Amino acid sequence: MPVRPILLYPDQALKANTARVDPANPEVAAIVQDLLDTLKASPGVALAAPQIGHLIQLIVVDVARKKGEQGHGLVVLLNPHILQQEGPRVIREGCLSVPDYTGNVLRYERILVQGLSPDGLPVTLATSGFEALAFQHELDHLDGKLFLDRIASLSTDLFRRKR
Amino acid sequence: MNSYAVLTAFGQDRPGIVAALAEGLSRLGCNIEDTCMTRLRGEFTMMLMVRLPTHLPAEALGERLAPFTSPQGLTVLCREVPAQAAERGSEPDIPVFMLSVYGADHPGIVAQVARVVADHRGNITDMNTRVIGAADRPVYIMILEVQMPVGSRPEALGQALELLKPSLGVDLTFRPLEQVRL
Repeated sequence: MPVRPILLYPDQALKANTARVDPANPEVAAIVQDLLDTLKASPGVALAAPQIGHLIQLIVVDVARKKGEQGHGLVVLLNPHILQQEGPRVIREGCLSVPDYTGNVLRYERILVQGLSPDGLPVTLATSGFEALAFQHELDHLDGKLFLDRIASLSTDLFRRKR
Repeated sequence: MNSYAVLTAFGQDRPGIVAALAEGLSRLGCNIEDTCMTRLRGEFTMMLMVRLPTHLPAEALGERLAPFTSPQGLTVLCREVPAQAAERGSEPDIPVFMLSVYGADHPGIVAQVARVVADHRGNITDMNTRVIGAADRPVYIMILEVQMPVGSRPEALGQALELLKPSLGVDLTFRPLEQVRL
């Protein structure tokens, strides 16, 4: 299964609405595999299907790819949504689809996220810290939102990534 | 009655230029009020509102500052500001909106967005723009703070901005700035 190119803004796939997926659809398994292969080849910890051009509600998160992070390990989630969130904090985050820049955005420290596993079973995850941020970032991709939509000021919220 | 001047200064960025300008103003008896300074690429730019000492007219300020600023290669422009515009007063309570616009860089984005805002009686009170993205795919991003005075229609402006998206090839969000008084 191939590694797909990660789309960069202004690619409009990153701004589109996404459709719910049926886990029974045989095409979904191939897209999941492509997303996993692409994540593995990337420097990131999570990807959403629109980032490789599929406008469906599918994300993969594996914070264990970052040194010192464990979380829930590799999670593949279909049709995910946030049930609860608490502990607002402003953090600086980047995105593989907006290279070289990071921005200050409001996120929540602890969230409860719900979706389906690839075999169609309901999954509810309580997550916090870095992993919770990753889920919130990927869920934004499913709404066609980038961190650029969340920053309030170019002079205080947008930063060039240190090389 | 106090008198005030707005002063702009800019020059190639290097350590010491803020110090030189501020020392010059201090020696001349000017009091620095509000300022906005930033680096635009390699150029450092400064905008200052200063309270002038008596007997120093605004039009003489640039010349009197020259011994401090010229060695730094700074260009300085000054203009007097009416006291009623310079004194701190209570801000009227006008609804504030944030407008973020971004898209592939091309000429005319600012002009068309600002025209639509103006035509809907929106008042741009703060604005920053930046070119980001890869060198071969530059992305233009601008963030504006817009006041919508009594009688203006923010929803109509929001709709007009939506219409700009396909014609300008940009993405944008126009949202009320939530303000809470605690």
